[in-house]
Amino acid sequence: MVERHRAGTIARMFHEMNSGRIGVQDERSFTMDEHLMHELRRDPDPEFAVRLRERLRRHEHAGAALRWRPAFAAAVTVAVVASLFMFPSVRASAQAMLDMFRVRNFAAVEFDPERTQKLRDLKQDNPVLMFGRQEVIEKPGDPQTVATPEAAGAIVGIDVRSPSELPDGLALQKVWIEGAGAVRFTADAVRLRSLLETLEIRDLDVPQSLDGQVVSVRKPQVVYQEYTSEKRHAVLIQAKSPEVSLPPGADLPQLAEIGMRILGVDATQARRLSRSVDWHTTLLVPVPVNASSFRGVEIHGSPGLLVTSSSKDPGAARGENHTRDKGRTHGDGSIVMWTEGERVFAVAGNLRDFELLRMAESVR
Amino acid sequence: MVFNRLATFVFAATEADWDALYAEQLPRVYNFFRYRVGDGAVAEDLTSITFEKAWQARNRYRRDLGAFSTWLLTIARNVAVDHYRKHRHHEPLDALDEVPGGQTPEELAEHRSDVERLGRLLEQLPERERELVALKYGSEMTNRAIARLTGLSESNVGTILYRTVQGLRDGW
Repeated sequence: MVERHRAGTIARMFHEMNSGRIGVQDERSFTMDEHLMHELRRDPDPEFAVRLRERLRRHEHAGAALRWRPAFAAAVTVAVVASLFMFPSVRASAQAMLDMFRVRNFAAVEFDPERTQKLRDLKQDNPVLMFGRQEVIEKPGDPQTVATPEAAGAIVGIDVRSPSELPDGLALQKVWIEGAGAVRFTADAVRLRSLLETLEIRDLDVPQSLDGQVVSVRKPQVVYQEYTSEKRHAVLIQAKSPEVSLPPGADLPQLAEIGMRILGVDATQARRLSRSVDWHTTLLVPVPVNASSFRGVEIHGSPGLLVTSSSKDPGAARGENHTRDKGRTHGDGSIVMWTEGERVFAVAGNLRDFELLRMAESVR
Repeated sequence: MVFNRLATFVFAATEADWDALYAEQLPRVYNFFRYRVGDGAVAEDLTSITFEKAWQARNRYRRDLGAFSTWLLTIARNVAVDHYRKHRHHEPLDALDEVPGGQTPEELAEHRSDVERLGRLLEQLPERERELVALKYGSEMTNRAIARLTGLSESNVGTILYRTVQGLRDGW
């Protein structure tokens, strides 16, 4: 609301103060002074406010397109992984046996970040719903904070590992457990075809036999160990591998290709990757072109993936919440993921890459 | 899923209601600059710069480190410093740019004169005092919040503001 100004208010107040009718020594007069000073406030011009908001909105869209949005990307990953296995062969679908997916490897795939925005514009930012219906079988519930990693291990039933090396200043801040969860997806071929059409992807077929197929995904309990210092933070995450029950005989390469194309992966790359990756054991990690870097690493002799999301706007928010490494900003953070046996690990935080890797290597 | 949680932590910027934040914070930042640098057009420019920087860096904002308004005003303070580095003179606080209802032309003229007069007094304040006035009366921050933002003690903030307002009254 625009506060209307009374003519002569300021002059009268100062006059009253100067004439001794309002002394500045008592509580009441101090309140009057504050009221007086606020008289100079204005609401911003509405046209200016609207113009600026529009410009900021473009940042929000551009940010969504150019910046790695891992929450979304991860959800897409899961959806892609799940969707990859929805296609049964007619003959095999009669069989009772189900294939299982377990994470053993990670594969990064670069995708077109503008597609992310397009999917958002299409109200498709719940990627699971791109492919069909989702039914929650088991809710994880609220996170449970525990005193120590050992206590977490006792609850989850695994020997929780911890890093023996931490970057300077980092200390264990909090340990918590996220409960197990399970969801069931039912594929909808019509919806998927419609989405492909909207995205003008016309060189791929969605088999009718996909319709109505069910995939179950179970996520076990997850242990988080959070390490913080004044400005830096890292979290070690560990869990048993999530499990995906797959209809037998699924044409995984074909479905992988569909999933990657929806993500905006280049057609040639999607075709090549779909045929070279073992989709029973590989978790796809979408990384936007030009916004993040990634590379394969080895942790304890197991293959892993390091993804670094970087931004280059050093003038912004000087000194807040980011660190620098030879001019490179690591404000958005990095993540390294790897597997060991049945376990999946990840260390993430706003650390330099070598610190993150060293911390990961020290997890025993 | 695992990585949703992970991502939330790493990037520490869960989606906020940007419309609500903008509506809430715009007047605070704009009025900070009105008190800090004066002129309405310059205040608009610096407000724009502040918000654009904040929005570009919004994924770095960590809720656990402080209020969004504090983070935004930290950026605003830096923007003001940059402005003064480039423009050593201070802009006068502009006169009323809207017509209050129910006032006679004489009353309007009197009020316009009051605003200009106080603006001139603000221009004469030292940098630190003017910034505290801007944070207190422009952004409507509490003394405690100003203390956290500036590194001064809360009692020091209160004392400086009290003396500053006294000085303005004396100068009137």
